[in-house]
Amino acid sequence: MIIVEPSPDTPLVWFDIAIRGGASADPRGVEGLHRHAAMLARRGAGSRDRAQLDDVLDGLGAAIDVGVSRDSVSISGLALSRHLDEVIALAADMLAAPRYDEDEHARLLRETPQVLDEVRDDDSALATRWFDWVCAPGHAYGRTSLGTEASLAAIDRTAAAELWRREVVADNLIIGVAGDVDETRAHALAARLTERLPKTPRPPVVATSGVVESRGRRAILVDKQDRTQAQLRIGHLGMRYGEPDTAAIAIAEAVFGGMFSSRLMQEIRVKRGWSYGAGCGLRRSRLPHWFEIWMAAGIDVAAPAVALALELFADFAANGPTDDEVDFARSYLIGSMPFHVATARQRMQLAVRDAVFDLPPGFTANLPASFPTLSADDVRAACRRQLRPDDAVTVAVTTAETARDALAACGAGALTVVDHDEY
Amino acid sequence: MTWQLEAEAPAGRGVVARRFRLANGLGVIAAVDKRAPIVALQTWFRVGSRHEKVGATGMAHLFEHLMFGQTEELAPGDFDRLVERTGGESNAATWVDWTYYRLSLPARDLPLGVRLEAERMQHLVLEPTPVEAERDVVTNERRERVEDDVDGWLDEQLMALAFTTHPYRWPTIGWMEDIRALSLPDIRGFYRTWYAPNNATIVCVGDFEESALLDLIASHYAHIPAAQLPEATSTAEPEQTRERVVRAPKPIATDRVLVGYKAPGQDEVDWPALEIVATLLAGCPSARLYRKLVIEHEAASSVDAQLTPFRDPSLLRLAITTARGHDADEVLGIIDAEMAALIASPPSKAEVEKAKALAETDFWTSLVEIDGKAEALGHYETALGDFRKVNQMAERLAQVTVEDVARVAQKYLVKERRTIVIAEPEAELPEEEEDE
Repeated sequence: MIIVEPSPDTPLVWFDIAIRGGASADPRGVEGLHRHAAMLARRGAGSRDRAQLDDVLDGLGAAIDVGVSRDSVSISGLALSRHLDEVIALAADMLAAPRYDEDEHARLLRETPQVLDEVRDDDSALATRWFDWVCAPGHAYGRTSLGTEASLAAIDRTAAAELWRREVVADNLIIGVAGDVDETRAHALAARLTERLPKTPRPPVVATSGVVESRGRRAILVDKQDRTQAQLRIGHLGMRYGEPDTAAIAIAEAVFGGMFSSRLMQEIRVKRGWSYGAGCGLRRSRLPHWFEIWMAAGIDVAAPAVALALELFADFAANGPTDDEVDFARSYLIGSMPFHVATARQRMQLAVRDAVFDLPPGFTANLPASFPTLSADDVRAACRRQLRPDDAVTVAVTTAETARDALAACGAGALTVVDHDEY
Repeated sequence: MTWQLEAEAPAGRGVVARRFRLANGLGVIAAVDKRAPIVALQTWFRVGSRHEKVGATGMAHLFEHLMFGQTEELAPGDFDRLVERTGGESNAATWVDWTYYRLSLPARDLPLGVRLEAERMQHLVLEPTPVEAERDVVTNERRERVEDDVDGWLDEQLMALAFTTHPYRWPTIGWMEDIRALSLPDIRGFYRTWYAPNNATIVCVGDFEESALLDLIASHYAHIPAAQLPEATSTAEPEQTRERVVRAPKPIATDRVLVGYKAPGQDEVDWPALEIVATLLAGCPSARLYRKLVIEHEAASSVDAQLTPFRDPSLLRLAITTARGHDADEVLGIIDAEMAALIASPPSKAEVEKAKALAETDFWTSLVEIDGKAEALGHYETALGDFRKVNQMAERLAQVTVEDVARVAQKYLVKERRTIVIAEPEAELPEEEEDE
C-alpha cells in the first residue's frame, strides 16, 4: 500500500514504512524481539556496516530511524529531495538485506537494559510502563515492547533475522511518502523499496494475547525514593479505535480530559492547583486498548487527587456530558482537525497510521463529519457502554513511606507496593 | 492608517515575511502562507527571566501563567473557552530572553485572536485567589520538571554554577522559595512595566490577507500607549578561569553528567562555527563523542550536544548518561581526550560539510509548520533584534570553514571554561536484618 502527499513547500521529503506486526506479536517470554530486529536492521545493511551507513546518511544531511509500536515496526526517513534516491537505496537495503552482524547483536543486547534504566529514572515513563503491564494482565499491549532483563536474555540473532524475513514482504508494508516529490516519482521510489522483497502474501498478524478479565478496582504504588510528586495513571481496558462508538467517545474524551476546558483540567489543576496538567484518552491502536487518565499531583495531595479523579470518572460514566458540553466539544473537534492535516507530512502519517490499524482510508481525517450526526444522548449512551470506573486500575509512582497509607484509603482498591526497578 | 514597511525577507519557499510598526512601537511580522486554512498568531515580549531580580525569580514565568486569566472583558476561564470553541489552541513559553504567547486558530477566527491578545496586553485583572491557584500550579510544575526530574535538576545546577553574576544563573521557573514569595503588588508592577506595545512583536503566519491583518491590529492596538521601559542593562559575566564541578546523589541507576563550556551569544561571530562543532561532537549518529563514548568504549548509553540560543554569552552543553559499570570520571576522561584531538587536529572538510548538510535539513525542518515558522521569526526578532537573521544564520552556517571550526575549538573547548554537574546513584540502604 502506498500513500503519497506531494508538497513543494520545502526541499524536504519524508517517508514512513510501516511493517505490520509490531511488539504485540513478540513471542511470549521474548518481549523486545521486534524492537531488536528493527534496531539491528538499522545497524548495517547491504554492503555497509553501521558506521558506513551512519557516515553516508549524515553526509547527505539525512536520517533514517527505526521504531516499534505495539502494531508495527517503522522505518522513517527524512532527506533533502536532491539526495532522495540515495537515501531510498539505503532504506531498501535495510528492508531487503540487513546484515545482522553478530557484534551488533551482542552490543544491542548490552545496550537495551540501559534503556530500561533510563525509563526507570523517568517517573512519567515508569508510570506508563507499569500501567501498561498491570491494566489488563495478559493483553497483547500489556507486554513491554522494550523487553525485560529476562526476555532480552532470550533474544536470539537467528530468531530476529527470521522474524525480519517473515514479516518484511512487499505485501506487508504500508509506505508513505510526503514532501518535495510528485506522485510518479514517489511510486517509483516505493517500487525500489520493495523490488527485492518476497512477493508472498503478508503473514497474519498474531497478537499474542490472552486477557484475564480484570474486575474491581486495584492500585499499585511503584515505590521510588524522595519523590515530591506522584505520577498517576488511572484506567481500564477500553474499546478499539474504529468501533461504532469511536466518534461518540472522541467527544466524551474531549469533554472529560481532552481540552484545557475539560472537567479533569478544571477540577484538578484550575480549581485546586493539584497538578500541572490532567487529561484522559483512549489509546489509538489496532486492537482494543486502554482508556486512561493521567496527572502528576504533589505527593501530599496524591490520594485526594486519585479520589477526586475516580469520583469524576464515575459520575461521567454514569451520566455523561451535558448538552452544552457536547456542543462545545463538537465545535472544538471539528475546528481542530485542520491543524492535524495542515502539512503533507501530517496527512501522510495519519493515513499510514489508519492503514496500520486496518481502518478505511481517510478514517481519522473524516471523523469530524460524524460529530454533527451524534446527539448528546448518543454520547451519554456511549459513556455508559464504554467507561468502567469500577474496574479502574490506579498506578502511582511515588514514595511509599509518605504516600502509602493515604493511597490505600482513597477508594482506588486494594493497594500493592512494588519497587520501582522490579519491572 | 498607513503602515510603514520596515523590512522583508523570504520565510521558506513562496512565503515572504514583512515587518511593520505602529507609532506606539508595536512591531508586526506578517507572513502569508495559504497552504491550510489556519493561522499562527504569536505575541513576543522582550522580557524573560534575565529581567528578574534576586529574590523574585520565576516572576516572568508565573506571570505567563496569569495571562490566561480574567480580564476586564473576560471572566475567568473565558480566554481558553473562546479559543477552544473554535478548535484552536493556546499556549505560551518563557525563557531567559523572552516570553511568547501563541494562538493556533482557524483562519476565520483571526479577528478573535487579535481581540483576545490586545485585551490581555492591557486589561488583565490580577486578584489574590487566582494568583494563589496559579502559584500552586507552578510549584507543581517545578516539582515535575526539576525536583523529581534528574535532567531538569542537572540543567538548573549547571546554570547556577556556570554563571556567577549574569541573571542567566537562576532558573526560568524560579527557585521554589521565590515562587512562594512573589507578591501581588510586584506581579502587578511587572505587568505594567513589561507588557506594553513597544516591548512586543506580533508574528502572524498563515492564511490571511496582510492588509486586513494590519487594519485589525491597528484597530485594537493603536490606542495603547507605549510604556517607559526600564533601561536595558547588561550584566557582564566575569571570564571563567577555572573548571567548576558539583556532584550530588539522585535516585538514578547510573551517573548522569552535564557539561557546559562557556560560549558566545547567538549573534556573535563565532556562533555558527560552534554550532557546527556541537554537531560534530554529538549531533548525529556518526558524531565523534557518540562514536567514542557509546560505540567504542560503551561508557555511555546516550550523549547529546546543544549550543543554547541565548542573546548573551551562552553554553555549549554536553549531556551524557553513563552506562552500567562506568562512571562520570571515565566519561570525562574520554571527552577530554576527544577535545584534545579536535584541537590538535582540525576536522576534515568532509566532516564539516556533513555538519553543514545536517544544518541545512534542520533549517528547512524549522519552516515546515506555521507554528514553527512563527516561532523562528519571533525568536530572532525578539532575542536578536531582527527576524531576517533566520535566513542570515542559515547562510552563516553554510559558510563555516575548517579553519573556523579549528579556531573556535581551540578558543572555547578548554577545561578552564567549563562547568560540570554530576548526578550519582544514591547509595542503597542496607537491607533490614530479620530477627531469628
